[in-house]
Amino acid sequence: MRIGDAKQSYAADEALWTSTTQQVWFGLLLLSLLLFPFFASPYLLYLACLVGIAVISATGLNILTGFTGLISLGQAGFMGVGGYTVAWLSLHTSLPFPIALLAAGLLSAAIGMVVGLPSLRIKGLYLAIATLAASVFLHFVFVEWASVTGGMAGLSLRSAQLFGLTFHNDFRMYFMIMPLAVLMLLAARNIFRTRIGRAFIAIRDRDISAEILGIPLLRYKLLSFALSSFYAGVAGGLFAYFYRVVTPESFPLSMSIFYLAAIIVGGMGSILGGVLGAIFMTLVPEGLKLLTTAITPIYPQAPVFMSPLLGVVFGVLIVGFLIFEPNGLAEVWRRIRRFFHLWPFRT
Amino acid sequence: MLERIHKQGRRLLTAAGLALAVAIGGTAAAQGESKEPIVFGGSIPLTGVFAFAGIHIHAGLSDYVDWINSQGGINGRPVQYVMEDTGYLVDRSVATYKKLSGRHRICCYYGDSTGFMQAIAADLNNAKNMIMSGASFATALTRVDKHPFQFIPGPSYSQMFAIILEYIAAEANKEGKKATVAFVYSDTEFGRDPIESSRAYARNLGIDVVEEIMTKPGSVDVSAEVIKLRRKRPDYVIFHGYVLSPINEFMVQMRQMGLNTKFMGTFWTMDRLIIDKMGKDADGFMGVMPYNYFGEDEDGPMYRVMHEQARKSDPNQAYRPTPYVQGWFNAMVWTEVVKRTLDAGKPLTGENLKEALDSIKDWDTGGIIGVPVTVKDNSFPVGRIYRVNAAAGRFEPVSDWIHLD
Amino acid sequence: MDWLFFAEVSLAGLATGGLYALIALGFVIIYKATRVINFAIGEIMMFAAYLFLSFAGGMELPAWLALPLAVLGGMVLGGLVERLMIRPMLGESPITVVMVTIGLASILVGLAEIIWTADPQLLPEFLPRQPIFIGEIYLAPKVAWGFVIGAAVLTVYLLYFRFSRGGVALRATASDQAAAYSMGINVRRVFNLAWVFGSLAASLAGILVSATGGLSPQSGAIGLSVLVIVIVGGLDSILGALIAGLFVGWLETVAGAFFGGEYRMLATFSVLALILIIRPYGLFGTHEIERL
Repeated sequence: MRIGDAKQSYAADEALWTSTTQQVWFGLLLLSLLLFPFFASPYLLYLACLVGIAVISATGLNILTGFTGLISLGQAGFMGVGGYTVAWLSLHTSLPFPIALLAAGLLSAAIGMVVGLPSLRIKGLYLAIATLAASVFLHFVFVEWASVTGGMAGLSLRSAQLFGLTFHNDFRMYFMIMPLAVLMLLAARNIFRTRIGRAFIAIRDRDISAEILGIPLLRYKLLSFALSSFYAGVAGGLFAYFYRVVTPESFPLSMSIFYLAAIIVGGMGSILGGVLGAIFMTLVPEGLKLLTTAITPIYPQAPVFMSPLLGVVFGVLIVGFLIFEPNGLAEVWRRIRRFFHLWPFRT
Repeated sequence: MLERIHKQGRRLLTAAGLALAVAIGGTAAAQGESKEPIVFGGSIPLTGVFAFAGIHIHAGLSDYVDWINSQGGINGRPVQYVMEDTGYLVDRSVATYKKLSGRHRICCYYGDSTGFMQAIAADLNNAKNMIMSGASFATALTRVDKHPFQFIPGPSYSQMFAIILEYIAAEANKEGKKATVAFVYSDTEFGRDPIESSRAYARNLGIDVVEEIMTKPGSVDVSAEVIKLRRKRPDYVIFHGYVLSPINEFMVQMRQMGLNTKFMGTFWTMDRLIIDKMGKDADGFMGVMPYNYFGEDEDGPMYRVMHEQARKSDPNQAYRPTPYVQGWFNAMVWTEVVKRTLDAGKPLTGENLKEALDSIKDWDTGGIIGVPVTVKDNSFPVGRIYRVNAAAGRFEPVSDWIHLD
Repeated sequence: MDWLFFAEVSLAGLATGGLYALIALGFVIIYKATRVINFAIGEIMMFAAYLFLSFAGGMELPAWLALPLAVLGGMVLGGLVERLMIRPMLGESPITVVMVTIGLASILVGLAEIIWTADPQLLPEFLPRQPIFIGEIYLAPKVAWGFVIGAAVLTVYLLYFRFSRGGVALRATASDQAAAYSMGINVRRVFNLAWVFGSLAASLAGILVSATGGLSPQSGAIGLSVLVIVIVGGLDSILGALIAGLFVGWLETVAGAFFGGEYRMLATFSVLALILIIRPYGLFGTHEIERL
């Protein structure tokens, strides 16, 4: 049980890890992430890479929707911008991947700012529809601007490379994706220790009050869009390097909804929530499929009737979760933590 | 009392653990004796937009595997078929591929979509450990340089159009005039696939393409497009990129306007579904089909075997739709390719399997396809034009088998 | 400029627009009263169409019986959804409630696949089949009759909202919940009623849309194109839904006919972009004035 959590300096108060135990656990986590690919099957490795990409994108969306309160349905479009940028650069230049990813992120950020312009005039669900419109418009561009984007067939990439090292299999891709995910998570967490992060939160809570307090709304809202789209662009770029092909169908509307579900189920307004939500949304369908595989030897027709059932089950899980815990998985985690912190007391 | 429950629980756990250990040990021991199986893998769309076909493709593949195993397998080795549902989503297809290929030594794989085939091409070309075919008849797959280990179990969409256009040209020649054709296709990769090359092909045959209409998938109403076609009055309309809607609307409305247009379609529209749903409105609809239909008057050893096996696996289904035959034929080609590789004493690598595939010339399919087939550029460019006889509730052939090149 | 062609295409577009307006109406009723954006409206439409398929096709009931029954089924579904899934979410942030409707959409699609299989379907014919010729101008019968039925229902709706007690209660709740409570209106009942009536419009629209466009478990995707219409018209304006629906339907069809299929979407979203710049809350939507 933890007693007496007194801080003696501002730096200590703002620190990300407040006790040695936390630092040790985090260190262990990093170590296990590092060692994971050496012990994992190709399938688990594949899933881990997907989770990494999902975490980055979900964190970006969390910054925009969870922390700044600007609902966005355009995440897939921004990821698409990043993906196509990376694809184009890989085919026409031989830039090493960090530069390509940076370019993807910056281009997405720029487009994000443009999409965010209406945010000064419209709010809430109206803004969500506007971002949806932007996403559809981007999709149209991906399909019609065939000279650059390859049209319907899309673009195939060469593997990512860095000073002669090519990332052509999942094992290597893991070592590109995971460190980036950790870094970007830490960066996001750090943002909310700074003035910018606090401004975002103020805008979410009451933007009129924030304006009165001297926060220039347009600038910070655009910054939020830019940051969120930067994350989405990098995630899209990693997606492109991972699948080595991008088509207009790679970034459908359902992907935007996927990420929205991820942060809502995970818990908006906390970085951990984004992570948990991304893991949940990626792994739960796989877990449900394992159930089917387990039943198939006993009942060979199982896949045929179970597969639509899984869709229903997944929907029920989301709805049920939201009804019983609207603050998401992060809240569940916090409750578990509180239980252990306060044990043997209850409150 | 708590202690009693504790003890009982522990005893139960140990008993269960022992039982599990025995079971696992038993199966492991039993496994060690049999020959190494040949594994067919599949990303199969049992849910989602393509489920209506995926369910039958799955049946076709599993029935064939059951049959081949009843014949002692391939060169004495049993065949194992492993699959998972993908919902017709590319990333799930890829995930299934990685999961299954990590767990089994797969030599032949069924891919459920063009998107999947293209996404996986780079990996496959690196790994060189299997060949792939599937539900995609995309023209892109005939690029042997980009897709050396993938093939199409039939003609590509461009080749389907070519077969249709050949038929139209032949009919027009009989009447001594030039034919006019309109292409109506959906705004998807599937729909757009053959249009460009078919435009050129039609021109070469002396056929006038008077109109090209692209419809948005899931559009509510096509009467505006019908109005356009009314002005052009084409002799033929070729539909592509659809399964059922909006073909019925086009056909019914154009006939109501008094047009004598003949309507034709490609593989996925040429199934009994269209007769069942449209009833007598479907009469006269034509299109290309590379296989013989199930339950026809055709004959051949493999044709008979397919019917017997289908009856055995589900006696309640008197008719098996074309995706079933497609799945069956797919597995047939895999078996043939694997057999040729094993007979030549070579290991089952991608390159050897590909070599065996390319060696298929004038192969008699035992009645599944009416003429001996030859592989060219990763596909089997063969097909026949069928027409709907709504009263009889079936498709009837109206042309000979056309084998391109 | 072929005016005959333009006239024909315009009529077809307006008829489609009428259907869009009906769907938008269903959406707006729910939003107006309960402030919930129902992402599952397409799926409710799809479900009602499947019910019609079962009643008219499977059970072979006559169309005049099957249609009201199917619409009734859709209404029951809407009422159940509100009671079981939306009411527990009262007071939560709007985005969470939206997520619930998204989850609902996926449940409905899965259920449809299980109950009716994933095969594409055609609804049994229940609309007259003779083509309609106004002089030289051709009008497809299904679309025209669909428009007529939709217009009739819309008129009944508007009259109901204007003159009946239920309609007044709905409008009262929509404009000020607290005042409605204090006037003795059972606001919870009104919420449920809003969902039921919204689903009525959606169900009817779903049957009419599927009569022309075919039916499959993925037919719900049309719900999203309606989002554009309600934004243009104003999320909480019934008149806006009507006018925007007609306009967008017309514009889409004309753009597609004159420029090509790929321009339909572009035309629609250009209008959307324009509205967002000029009148962000829609042509007739109310701009909520935020007070601290």
